[in-house]
Amino acid sequence: MRHTLSKYWHHLVLLPLALLWLSPMLWIGVTSLKTKSEVFDSAAGWLPSVAQWSNYPAALSVAPFGRYLINSVLVTGSIIAAQLITITLAAYAFARLRFPGKNLLFGLFLVQIMFPIYAIFLTNFVTIRELGLMNSLWALIVPFVASGYGTFMLRQAFRQVPAELADAARLDGCGHLSTLWHVYLPLVKPTLVAFAIISVVTHWNDYMWPLLVTNSEEVRTLPIGLGLLAKADSGADWTRLMAATIVVVSPLLLFFVIFQRRFVDSFMHAGIK
Amino acid sequence: MPRFKHEDLRDIPAAALMLLPSLVFLALFTYWPILRSVWFSFHDVMLGSPEIFFLGLENYTRLLADGLFWKSFGNTALYTLLTIPLSIICALLLAVALDTRLRGMAFYRSAFFYPVMIPSVAAGMVWVFLYAPGYGPINGLMAALGLPRLEWLYDRSWAMPAIILMSIWKYAGYFMLILLAALQLVPRDLYEAARLDGVSATRQLLHITIPLISPTLYFVIIIGVLHSYQIFDYVYVMTQGGPADATNVLTFYIYQNAFQFQDIGYASAVANALLLFIIALIAILAATLGRRVHYLGS
Repeated sequence: MRHTLSKYWHHLVLLPLALLWLSPMLWIGVTSLKTKSEVFDSAAGWLPSVAQWSNYPAALSVAPFGRYLINSVLVTGSIIAAQLITITLAAYAFARLRFPGKNLLFGLFLVQIMFPIYAIFLTNFVTIRELGLMNSLWALIVPFVASGYGTFMLRQAFRQVPAELADAARLDGCGHLSTLWHVYLPLVKPTLVAFAIISVVTHWNDYMWPLLVTNSEEVRTLPIGLGLLAKADSGADWTRLMAATIVVVSPLLLFFVIFQRRFVDSFMHAGIK
Repeated sequence: MPRFKHEDLRDIPAAALMLLPSLVFLALFTYWPILRSVWFSFHDVMLGSPEIFFLGLENYTRLLADGLFWKSFGNTALYTLLTIPLSIICALLLAVALDTRLRGMAFYRSAFFYPVMIPSVAAGMVWVFLYAPGYGPINGLMAALGLPRLEWLYDRSWAMPAIILMSIWKYAGYFMLILLAALQLVPRDLYEAARLDGVSATRQLLHITIPLISPTLYFVIIIGVLHSYQIFDYVYVMTQGGPADATNVLTFYIYQNAFQFQDIGYASAVANALLLFIIALIAILAATLGRRVHYLGS
């Protein structure tokens, strides 16, 4: 009896809080279906009188969102593909090979976690300019090819793999690369998926760096396109802007809803172990 | 000269090859920029100009006398020191409430976690709308409750709290999820025993839960520090540092000096101050909290 009562109390507190947390998203959805005048009219109530679905095609036609989407996919896809290669190799070296200066080098990898692009964007911007990569998709990819965080996560996972398994493979004449491929990688799939999800969420949503190094439609990504639309509208047409926001946030939210368990597990266990 | 066993040397070629891809990119886009920022800060460097003049400490003396630098430094510290504790307390309470095999767990988890998935630019923009003084729903709600309307992002004393409030909404769910994973590892019988001894829920939280999940709390605080860099996005989208620099923060001040005033040398000096602030903050956290962390079973 006491138990059911305490659970009842839990819901009584949690449900309003959850609705409060959801309210910005609900507000975006509701506004995207209103007419312009309903937005500014406080007497019009919270819901649109007639759902204006035409706000969506209107939002999509003011900017090349198709192009932005392709760019976002290309950039995020390239980053995660390159990262999976670099972190797998480095994590294996740190977890299983013996060489002098290992701890020092590992510490150097961790420096990147402390100083992400937000801390060092200025001199990176100068470098990208000197390399002639300004306003190209490369500029959005190359600073993120190496990942200290990914190397750290994967090294922890590799260390859990029993050394005997690797030794057996080595005795059978497998080199480092084939041991890595046939023994280690299949055993750390959950960690790889967890890192991939975190990395994709981070880079799909990146704003500051792409803002600095892109200046034409051909290379802009979805968040940049949305930011530009907001600037152009500057509060004049919230309905169109909120429709565009729904379009931009829905790919990740959709994946999240479909693969909820996977996402939650990835973020839950990313830091632990 | 340390001596290495034969075995230690045999792996060197393989290790070098495997570390090389990462090290090339780390060198180019992490180490080189940090070193260069130190180098630039002692020089007069203009954006797009090939000429560089040695200035010695001039950029730094200018920095110390620059009121706007100190203001943005103070704002950065205020944002970091308020957002992290507030969102972690919020996250901890949510996690404790959810750690009870509740029905609708998946719903609650998603409701609190989804803001993490939303791009910072979209979040910032939507909150500009929510905070709008005339037609924004937050003011609408406050009026309905009989509270005074606020200018929020247009008010010098409310703009920073408004960004902090939004940040709590954005990140608490992330911290909640990590803390929830740690809570699920706390042995249930500890709570049972405490309950039988008549220990109150608050004391259970303070004396059982928090000590046992302290390594994770420490980890979450560090993650919080690293996430606080992202305030640039919110300031850029929501206020552009205003009103009257009330929300100007170090990352945004670096941006202004570099891209609006083209002064890379001075911007580098500000950037180095930011790096020092982060290093100092993490060192203080490691020396105070890091030592007191209680590791279960080790």
